[in-house]
Amino acid sequence: MNIQLSIKQLLSGIILLVILSLVFMSCSADENNDSMAMKQLIPDKILGWSAEELKFYDRETIFDYMNGAGEIYRLYDYHKLLVKRFSNIDKFDIKVEIFDMGSSKDAYGIFSHSRQSENIGIGQGSEYNNGLLSFWKCGYYVCVLSGIENDEAKEILFKFAQTIEYNIKGKGILPDIIKYLPEEGLLDNSIRYFHRHESLNCHYYLASANILNLNTETEAVLASYSPDKMFLLIIDYENTDLADKAYESFINNYIPEADNGLAEIQGNKWVKTLQLDHYIIVVFDAGNSVQANKLVAAAAAKIEMQPVI
Amino acid sequence: MIDFKGSINRRDFLRGAAYTGLAAAMGLSSDFCWATTETKKTRVVLIRNSDVIDTSGNIDSRILGEMLDRAVVKLTDKASPLEAWRQLISPSDTLGIKSNEWGPLPTPPELEQAIKDRALDIGIPAENIDIDDRNVLYSDVFLNSTALINVRPLRTHHWSGIGGCLKNYIMFVPKPHEYHDDSCADLAALWDLPLVKGKTRLNVLAVLTPQFHNIGAHHFDKKYIWQYKGLLVGNDPVAVDAVGVHLLEAKRGLYFKEDKPILPPPHHVVYGEIRHKLGVCNPAKIELVRLGWQEDVLI
Repeated sequence: MNIQLSIKQLLSGIILLVILSLVFMSCSADENNDSMAMKQLIPDKILGWSAEELKFYDRETIFDYMNGAGEIYRLYDYHKLLVKRFSNIDKFDIKVEIFDMGSSKDAYGIFSHSRQSENIGIGQGSEYNNGLLSFWKCGYYVCVLSGIENDEAKEILFKFAQTIEYNIKGKGILPDIIKYLPEEGLLDNSIRYFHRHESLNCHYYLASANILNLNTETEAVLASYSPDKMFLLIIDYENTDLADKAYESFINNYIPEADNGLAEIQGNKWVKTLQLDHYIIVVFDAGNSVQANKLVAAAAAKIEMQPVI
Repeated sequence: MIDFKGSINRRDFLRGAAYTGLAAAMGLSSDFCWATTETKKTRVVLIRNSDVIDTSGNIDSRILGEMLDRAVVKLTDKASPLEAWRQLISPSDTLGIKSNEWGPLPTPPELEQAIKDRALDIGIPAENIDIDDRNVLYSDVFLNSTALINVRPLRTHHWSGIGGCLKNYIMFVPKPHEYHDDSCADLAALWDLPLVKGKTRLNVLAVLTPQFHNIGAHHFDKKYIWQYKGLLVGNDPVAVDAVGVHLLEAKRGLYFKEDKPILPPPHHVVYGEIRHKLGVCNPAKIELVRLGWQEDVLI
């Protein structure tokens, strides 16, 4: 009996070990596959530059690479970062960073986080700022940096970026919520797509506490509008119940005196908010109540025309 | 409804005179004034010299040392540099000089050396002095320190708004990311760590070539630094950082020609006063003493 039990236990243990090993191997294989796929996006030699070093950073180890600034990526579904350094004995060094952002929406989101310049035609959105070329495509956000800024460096950075872009196959989709932004008055390069209240505070400081109940599942877009550089915020909650609670929280904690969601919080600074099913629309810093109401109404009309269930 | 007691929001900063100074420290208002001598709570010395950096960008160590001495003399109200430094540190101290090694804009070695030279001058043995940033938790001198001097350059920061004196102590914890919540709101709590608490004798915020803007998480562009050629020196890290915020905001206004506040707002400076009571950020409580070169002083 005891011997039979021991054999049974031994067999159970072996089966469990095999299962665990398979699961572990599968995870490792996926991990390795992801890394391999990322490695293949950028060859070891481009033009006269040769790869010197390649490193990966995950959600935890990203702080080893960029310390506090790593939090910006963690506000999105950032999975992994590949950093590859290139040198050319006669020229300057180049660094390539490829971020696997988990989804094309979040690749767009992190790109939108710091976007400030015109599109330069690489990937699905790109910009160049003095030695830093960044773009997004599919689930990847890519930065190519040179230590110096001149015409030659700029040309090389473009070639590096084009090589990487070519290797990223397919095309990502933009977040649906972007299409609810009214076109009239929308300021160039001001669209920010995000999920969490820390991101909102990076672009428009609202409150230290999360009074709009934003979380990793909510989708939000913020953009600036003329006149007066007012801000339009649209949030898509998972369901109407969560939107109800967030609306109540926002009113109670920010504009308790609001009349029909409208309040003048300072001289010529108006806030207007409206809940529409699982959406909340807010206008900040409007110069008067008419502008505030008009912009909210324009966003509401777009949502009602193209609802996403 | 969730109770958000204790949190602050944008309206708090826009309401009334009591918050005006705090709003200014967040870069949300330019409506403030510095304290007068009569109302002073804490002193911050700004010293500048047009010759401290030459046309090639090299730092003149002698001039930098003189600037540091002059600032410390003014800060302590002593008659000479030696007396001033003796008020701050003593020969029996074990001194950690907390520097910053961020690649594009590190603490200038000339500034580190100037501080070390003063410590040697007043009689601290060389083996009881260390200069470090990322390895402070592995340094015997830092681990056994009785005194700290905090020195780093001023710059904008993609997550905390600014990198200043408060943030410079984040390497005193093994897991810096534990202090990243809410854009590093509680950096001032670092100053309560046993390894740090009560030891800081001087804060030196180098504004020789401050960085007033950055794009992306770790991008550095020389376009966004300028030769201000100064040092901000004080005992109160919150006050020194608050002055630094005003300087960066003033430069941004000048450069961008529009209201372009630092984002995210450096609210950890405000929390240094209102939540952690480490120091003051309200300009009405800060006596800003300006010494030396005054051209384009901005603040």
